Amino acid sequence: MTLKIRQILGASRPLLILAAVFVLCAALSPTDGQGANTFLTWGSQTNMLRFMSEYGILAAGMTLVILSGGIDLSVGSILGFTAVLFSWMTIWKDVPAVLAVPACLAAGAALGGVNGFLVARFRIQPFVVTLAMMVVARGLAKLVSGGQKVSTAFEQNGDFVTKPIPPFFDFLNDRIGGTFPVVGVVFLAAILLLWGAARYTLFGRHLYAIGGNEEAARLSGVRVGWAKAGAYAVSGLMAALAGLCDAAQQQQGDPEAGATYELDAIAAVVIGGTALTGGRGSMSLTLVGVLVIGYIDQILSLKGFDQSQRLIAKGLIILGAVLLQKRERV
Amino acid sequence: MKNRSIVVAESFFLSLCLALCLAPAQAAPATARGTPQNPWKIGMSQCNLGEPWRVQMNKDVKDAAAQHPELDVIFIDAQNDSRRQQTDVETLLARGIDLLIISPKEAAPLTAPVAAAYKKGIPVIVLDRKVLGEEYTCFIGADNIKIGRAAGDWIVKATGGKCTIVELKGLMTSTPGQERHKGFMEAIQGHPDVKVVFDADCKWLEPEARKEMESALSRFPAIDVVYAHNDPAAHGAYLAAKAEGKGREKVIKFVGIDALPHEGVAYVKDGVMNATFQYPTGGAEAIDMALKILKGQKVPKNVTLGTRYFDDANIQSGGQAIE
Repeated sequence: MTLKIRQILGASRPLLILAAVFVLCAALSPTDGQGANTFLTWGSQTNMLRFMSEYGILAAGMTLVILSGGIDLSVGSILGFTAVLFSWMTIWKDVPAVLAVPACLAAGAALGGVNGFLVARFRIQPFVVTLAMMVVARGLAKLVSGGQKVSTAFEQNGDFVTKPIPPFFDFLNDRIGGTFPVVGVVFLAAILLLWGAARYTLFGRHLYAIGGNEEAARLSGVRVGWAKAGAYAVSGLMAALAGLCDAAQQQQGDPEAGATYELDAIAAVVIGGTALTGGRGSMSLTLVGVLVIGYIDQILSLKGFDQSQRLIAKGLIILGAVLLQKRERV
Repeated sequence: MKNRSIVVAESFFLSLCLALCLAPAQAAPATARGTPQNPWKIGMSQCNLGEPWRVQMNKDVKDAAAQHPELDVIFIDAQNDSRRQQTDVETLLARGIDLLIISPKEAAPLTAPVAAAYKKGIPVIVLDRKVLGEEYTCFIGADNIKIGRAAGDWIVKATGGKCTIVELKGLMTSTPGQERHKGFMEAIQGHPDVKVVFDADCKWLEPEARKEMESALSRFPAIDVVYAHNDPAAHGAYLAAKAEGKGREKVIKFVGIDALPHEGVAYVKDGVMNATFQYPTGGAEAIDMALKILKGQKVPKNVTLGTRYFDDANIQSGGQAIE
């Protein structure tokens, strides 16, 4: 009986943490001019979702990789590369979005696939492979953009011309019904899709098996190489998706976009409670992790906290979350 | 099978390394320099080409040098790393440059390499950020306090001395961030009805600025002006106000700094921003000074660059200089 209660509590602990954070934020929230709680407005909630969506999309792909016992440091750079590539194609080269979107997603998946191939085929540590890709993809971003932001105003024959924003940028940057951000929908859809993939497909179950015990998985007939390569390819694909969202929200392709985002994505996965050693965790936990970071960030921003205090708070929360999960397992 | 593919990968890697080592070999003639056949070599050490403003600086140097066939500029980027930039200076000296232009990342770590070059008899032009001491030939830079003050004056004038302001700061551990704030505060000091109601450190980043502006919008029903320490932050703030869907982006005045042709100036032209204040790169001026120095003329030790501003009223006529 006690075991059962503990199991239930254990399983929903991340949810409890999320609820606690939410209540805390609401209690601490400043009021606007009319005395209303600024945190508890629909606007604040959707703003948070918009800002976190890029990290969230990265974290969704990252979760698959971490479940398989790996890590992907290259997602921030792949985000930057695809943001630039997409802006370059649609703004500067007038490629219609119908072609540019699949091309950029394929580019991201391909770079992720290279990660996966190197990890699976040569058995190089994922940390090293994706570290190399992190540097290479950032280089590619600067190569395509020439180091400048790829924006609607650019030099042509010595004169500055301004092009209109491609409609796809406005579509992704829009809010449904004037309130719900489209990038938030993209993020939630990515979570839902990969949640299904991790839970209900053979591919997902193989990732859990590999992360749990790679040798055992291999012996029981799992095609370890393919499953791993697939995880990295999906992670690259998600990074590309986040790249499109980034370009749309900045209305330009910034070659520096996404720098250090990989760390926030990993932090979200860890705060959720997915084990970095692999084999244990889930996509819904990652959603919780993203929301916890988002809420904390939101309340610190609303209250106008200093950068120094924000960084310390974020670090402590990561540590705290991991400690809580440690207790849970003992 | 497995071994073979590893061998293939290894040999590919080794040949890549070999190719990289062999590539940049070239001999330098030893006759008198300063002719189109044997141009003066100028080394340009840039601290971080990750910033668009610094990309513009290199472009200004390159464009100015292109007018002079007797000059040849070698560019090198320290990728935002002071220690790398120390090595960059040594690399340029080893390549036999006649003059060094450096835009240092930080003063303290780069003072010694710059002084070493200066003592060897290589003239040094320091751009934008200073080094410590006096061991350089010429410093060229703009005045961020003055620019911050000009932005403050513009806001006071444009609002009749009565407004609420959101200040989106640059990285406040950096000197430009501190000075753009200081000058601005000096300008609004004597105006009790000009109030900064919200401020945040956006680290020069547009996504940060957009998020902070969303917070400001949800807390304050009346915002008249956004003062951003750089143009991307002002752009991010505009997008936040537009996304809010209450039409506030048309009411709020967005003011930024830097005025790069494809950023701030284009935003003012498009009606996104209301004013932008140029922070000149000094790239062209550096080449002018370099030519004077190489021809043996005397140059001043300190050059403070003038600045321009662009707003709704003067954007078509190419902005206006600030005295």
